[in-house]
Amino acid sequence: MREHHHRAKERHNSSNDKNNNSAPRPREHTEDPDIVAAREREKQQLIQWETQREPLTPSEILIEPDQKVVGHSSKYLRCEDFELIKTLGTGTFARVWLARLSARENKEANKVFALKILRKADVIRLKQVEHVRNERNVLAAVAGHPFITTMVASFQDYDTLYMLLDYCPGGEVFSYLRRARRFNESTSQFYAAEIVLILEFLHERQGVAYRDLKPENILIDAEGHLKLVDFGFAKKIADRETYTLCGTPEYLAPEVIRNTGHGCAVDWWAFGILVYEFLVGQPPFWDQNPMKIYEQIVEGKVRYPSAMSSNARDIIGALCTVDVSRRLGNISGGAGAVKAHPWFSHIDWDALYHRRIRGPIIPQLRGPADTRNFDDYDPETQAKDPYTADMRERYDSAFADF
Amino acid sequence: MSLPSDYTNEINSLNREVLKQKPTDILQFCANFFLRRLESQRAEFLLSQQHSASHKGGTGMAETTFPGSNPFGTSPSSGAVSGSMGGMHRLEEEDENDTIASPTASHFPRPMNSNNGPSAAFDDNAAGSGGAVGGGDTTFGSFGASSGAMPMDIQSFPTNYNMNRRTSVSAESLNPSSSLNDNWTPPYHPKTSEQQTRLRAAVADNFLFAHLDDEQTSQVLGALQEKPIPAKGIKVITQGDVGDYFYIVESGSFDVFVNRAGRVEPGSNDLGDKVTVVGPGGSFGELALMYNAPRAATVVSTEPSTLWALDRVTFRRILMDSAFQRRRMYESFLEEVKLLSSLTAYERSKIADALETTKYPPGSTIIKEGDPGSSFFILESGEAEVYKRGVEQPVKKYTKGDYFGELALLNDAPRAASVVSSTEVKVATLGKNGFQRLLGPVEGIMRRNDPTKQASEEDEVDPLHQES
Repeated sequence: MREHHHRAKERHNSSNDKNNNSAPRPREHTEDPDIVAAREREKQQLIQWETQREPLTPSEILIEPDQKVVGHSSKYLRCEDFELIKTLGTGTFARVWLARLSARENKEANKVFALKILRKADVIRLKQVEHVRNERNVLAAVAGHPFITTMVASFQDYDTLYMLLDYCPGGEVFSYLRRARRFNESTSQFYAAEIVLILEFLHERQGVAYRDLKPENILIDAEGHLKLVDFGFAKKIADRETYTLCGTPEYLAPEVIRNTGHGCAVDWWAFGILVYEFLVGQPPFWDQNPMKIYEQIVEGKVRYPSAMSSNARDIIGALCTVDVSRRLGNISGGAGAVKAHPWFSHIDWDALYHRRIRGPIIPQLRGPADTRNFDDYDPETQAKDPYTADMRERYDSAFADF
Repeated sequence: MSLPSDYTNEINSLNREVLKQKPTDILQFCANFFLRRLESQRAEFLLSQQHSASHKGGTGMAETTFPGSNPFGTSPSSGAVSGSMGGMHRLEEEDENDTIASPTASHFPRPMNSNNGPSAAFDDNAAGSGGAVGGGDTTFGSFGASSGAMPMDIQSFPTNYNMNRRTSVSAESLNPSSSLNDNWTPPYHPKTSEQQTRLRAAVADNFLFAHLDDEQTSQVLGALQEKPIPAKGIKVITQGDVGDYFYIVESGSFDVFVNRAGRVEPGSNDLGDKVTVVGPGGSFGELALMYNAPRAATVVSTEPSTLWALDRVTFRRILMDSAFQRRRMYESFLEEVKLLSSLTAYERSKIADALETTKYPPGSTIIKEGDPGSSFFILESGEAEVYKRGVEQPVKKYTKGDYFGELALLNDAPRAASVVSSTEVKVATLGKNGFQRLLGPVEGIMRRNDPTKQASEEDEVDPLHQES
């Protein structure tokens, strides 16, 4: 804890140092009283939102992101407004921190958030500019959904991008699944059903394919409901297919491997893999050698443990269908056909959306900032590439939405 | 001896509070702090007890808590967890060793696999010998990078599945040449016909090449570039390095090494264990055709040799461009079909997904007058003629882009005429079942334009004369 805390401090210092260099900055440190007041107002709004955390209805989510209480691009927030407490997760070019508003009144000390920090130079070096833009814009568009991580605001400074997200203290479904080895049928059904509502919303309301469904990207909130996180590969597909290979090896759909063009149907394939992994403890296609996984996937022959219920086999088989024109979720009826499958026959979908059904796992927590459900991560060791004036010239406009 | 982590957590948060509040009366501040903590913790404890209690009597979804996550010592015994899964206890019984083949010559054999022999994912018996597989953090390629491994009792997990977090992968962003002025053509390196035959044989068993059509195959083979390896001892690929190329051996010989550390340290000559030898007709590095993953092995020439190389972007672009062109072609054909004029672009692209290509030699009867119709056809290439019973001469000629039999989507009426190919033809077909599976009944689609429109009106259109 101390070490994390200390590191967080260092990070603040280094970002202060950056503000002292002579390079041009998009947001000058200024004492303009109007701006100081606006920044204060914004922080008050954050506190207020964190207190209520009201999920929005589907039609409330669909209004313009900049008119919503959540999902906007902030002109006022800065990294210094947050105290970084502990790393919650890392990726190749991003790190997510548990963060709280710094120097607040004691009574607000428990207002915590997850702050995703991306260094622009890394994003550019790893050719992820498009993915990061997609992520920010999809999160802005969907902010407020009960089962999707809420991006409260996004902001940036000279060399860094920030996404301020709600903190989901239960940790990853992945951790619970590996500890339990597998979920029983009703637990699997509950989580699967909340995922169906997410995919229905993303595909049919937003035209967005998520493209990286797996237990690692699904968190459990304080009340035991799911939150889908990491929209790094999410993309608005509209009415055309897309071709860039992305995802996680065990969860890739056959059409992604064969590069024949893919759309939202890849999420239904991955959903079938996910249900299988919930029930069995490991995905249906696996090998030490990833090429062998891909060979099994394009062949698409799923083997089921003998104890698996016939309804479970049936829905997994219907989802993990190589031919997209026969895949459940992609065929007539869309997500509705998935919801109507007998495996979900006992689910009250309306009550589920409104979080009126109790989740099977209620995380044990000692407070809103408890991080016991997250693993420890190594400190940042990599030398940081500078964000050069040349990069800024070429790419900064691509980050304008933040 | 280290202090309990709960204790250090408390002290750390006290430290933060002290730093933040800068109290003058330290003792009073600390006393207040701990009283507040005690109060809130007890309140939460009571609350969580209620949760668990109401829960046990309620939905019975089980797994409310897990060993190690409960600070109050009330965590259920492991028996409670496994007991709740009693229904699945026969899970590992379906043991078959048939679906997961042993490594072939064209792949890198993993040392683990070669020790275990072919190991099925469900093979309980292999778990003992292969137990180390899941726990290692030096597993294959992209998996090795996963961080934050959880302490896990691997022995208790009866498979060789890798338990770690899985890393996402992605390749370069690929966008099809949508405009005509962006005219990408794959590189072409001429080859003799024997070379071509050998190359075809070399990739015949590789699933990445198995689905290619003739044109894609010749494009891919044409794009293979000769790469002479002039001497013995040259490292073609190095374990742990980024990989962009797939190689096929034309002549010569290569040793394959795998270092258990997952990579070859820079400046080190420790390549690890030699796991196999690749000779003419063999290939390696195929994962590079998918995305940029660290190489899983080091490959070194043992004599002057020749390789054929193919890079990922070229390979995936060939696949993408032909898929893209075919889809746009199908969509433009479908746009012309009057019966389907109310489809949205999204629906047309779904239908294009479901079209299947069939080839007919000249003189084939594609549909026969009087037969019940169940499929709809679009002529993709070639020519066909329409005959009606009692009429000597063809009543119509079809060329590329023409379609016929679309009323079969609507009803099962017998075909009103026969269609016979006059050249070799390629047709894209879609069955009524396939259409309905994707978009529901055609009648519903047609009513969109005009709610009063009855399906029967359309029956008057001659199925074989779409241009009125």
